[in-house]
Amino acid sequence: MGLAQNVVFGLVTGSYIAIAAIGFTLIYGIVNMINFAYGEYLTIGAFTGVLAAGALPLPLAALAAMVGGGVASLLLAWAFFTPINDTGPVPMLLTSIGLGLVLRNAIRIAAGQGARYYDTTTSTFHLRGLPDLSVGSVDLLGNFFVTSRMLVVVGCAVAVFLVLHALLTRTDIGIAMRAMGDDESLARVRGIDTQFVRNAVWVLAGVLAGLAGVLIGIQTNVNVTTGFSHILQILAAAILGGAGSPYGAIAGSYVIGLVVALSTAFLPSSMTGLSSAMAFLVLVVVLLVKPSGIAGTEVREA
Amino acid sequence: MSVADRLPTGSAERAALLGSVLVVVGVAFAASPLTATFPGDLTVFVEIAVLFTVYAILVLGLDLQYGHTGLVNFGHVVFFAVGAYTVAMLASQGSFAGLSLGLPWPLALAASLVTAGVVGAIVGATSLRLRDDFLAIATLAAAEIFHSLTENLEVFGGTTGIFSIPQPLAAAAADYDTTLLVTLLVFGGLTALTYAGLKRLTDAPYGRVLRAIRADELVTRSVGKSVFTYKMQAFVYGAALAGFAGGLFALYNGAVAPTFFTIQVTVTVWIGMLLGGASNHRAVLGGLAVIMGIRLVSRFANDAAPMSSAEFASLRLIVVGMILILVIRYRPAGIWGDAKELGVDS
Repeated sequence: MGLAQNVVFGLVTGSYIAIAAIGFTLIYGIVNMINFAYGEYLTIGAFTGVLAAGALPLPLAALAAMVGGGVASLLLAWAFFTPINDTGPVPMLLTSIGLGLVLRNAIRIAAGQGARYYDTTTSTFHLRGLPDLSVGSVDLLGNFFVTSRMLVVVGCAVAVFLVLHALLTRTDIGIAMRAMGDDESLARVRGIDTQFVRNAVWVLAGVLAGLAGVLIGIQTNVNVTTGFSHILQILAAAILGGAGSPYGAIAGSYVIGLVVALSTAFLPSSMTGLSSAMAFLVLVVVLLVKPSGIAGTEVREA
Repeated sequence: MSVADRLPTGSAERAALLGSVLVVVGVAFAASPLTATFPGDLTVFVEIAVLFTVYAILVLGLDLQYGHTGLVNFGHVVFFAVGAYTVAMLASQGSFAGLSLGLPWPLALAASLVTAGVVGAIVGATSLRLRDDFLAIATLAAAEIFHSLTENLEVFGGTTGIFSIPQPLAAAAADYDTTLLVTLLVFGGLTALTYAGLKRLTDAPYGRVLRAIRADELVTRSVGKSVFTYKMQAFVYGAALAGFAGGLFALYNGAVAPTFFTIQVTVTVWIGMLLGGASNHRAVLGGLAVIMGIRLVSRFANDAAPMSSAEFASLRLIVVGMILILVIRYRPAGIWGDAKELGVDS
């Protein structure tokens, strides 16, 4: 397999991570917490989508998953996070770890261990006849293929970026979100209903998680660890981009996606399991060299 | 003057005495031809109690880091794993997977302490300057990296792990029940000694500096204390202790594999610490006992409940997660913790 094919894989992975990482980083920037249970929101969305897909066509099922994710996110925030909003980041992180444990195991009891699949038909587009551009054993170009599923994933991601950009820059609630991300006290002084904005962020993050869950489900399958197995990549992407910055999160996601795909391709076959470790290695290096991420605020203290 | 009057009065000294006695009794029992037999169900209690003593050393080290110094280390399992793997790789004899050098086990146990301390120093040097919640993420990432290294590299034995680690206590004792009792005595003694050492450390002016850092870093720095040095020392001590616990675990279990060292270990010790009350050595041990007691009760309850053991394990984790959420919300200082001292509202 050539480099081009792995870049395609990386872009697809980066796309669904980006959708989730935006939600994650918005929660970080505005509610001021690292939500470790966020992976479970993806799982909830993916399962809602599978259930809905039994009765509805796939696009409507994805919509149902997004609504389901948004509602679940708001309810969970109302029950668990809003009451302890002013206790600081560490108690909230620990609460989210506990909540993740509860949700993951509740889903496991309800849905069992098995994997579910979305019933989709795919067509594959091959690009052949590209000249080889070999450097050593590495083929820098090579033939590659793109499936319609991949195009759907990347297309959804681009649509999300555009809608989100419009939301953050053109609507009152989006501008209020950015204001709160900058300075919550100032935002309140200017008459912004901070709790309302927080709730809006929870809903938005849940909607994005639902969509990301469905896309991961379409690309692979849906099981109880769908979200949890991606949470560390999402987190790495969000911090890499500069925690709290949605645009940074998009960039960070594609970096993580490409690193994972390329290290899978170029590590010796006995070590392909290390590809996710490579993503964290990138994260650790970034935290050391430029703790503020690609774009964002300083997280170093002493 | 009776013997009772000669007993030390401070809790650290008493723990030190108790620990030494337990270790000596345990080793003597193992060397003697005496055997012990537990009636039926009690074996499970003793097995969990042995695991408790190992986790107790973990939670004491973690409490030095979080409870006293305020370092949010959410990758504590990595040091536990490093210690266990050090002993496994150095001391195992002819394991069919992974490195096995067949060195004497006391050397390996000492090395586990050192290696974990060194790994702690590396992780600390790179992440102790980060803000609290990012420190949690960096340590978590370190644990994840090490976990996938052990699963994927041949030196660590991959997913199979490393077998044929010497079990000195099992070798000395006559049968399984005796081994359990002896292990419980020796490990319990070592836990008591750890408690004694840490109690001395944190009661000393050194411990006051650590708590001052937790309360307010800026103030501590402004009175001329090198905050980073203290943080680093506390982090390395905690890591080395966890490595020691890992080494003990490997010598007791006789085998190590990635499945023993998941994030579940970190979550268990964290919940134990928070439930008991951080920054109080006895409280964290109490909290850990409660959490491991739940594990024990659930093992028996599973026989009575009409569900599969996998479902029951999930149910137990739901309960554990809810405990964590409820403790943080309603009793942030823990059951025996001092809310005023920790600076939290309860």
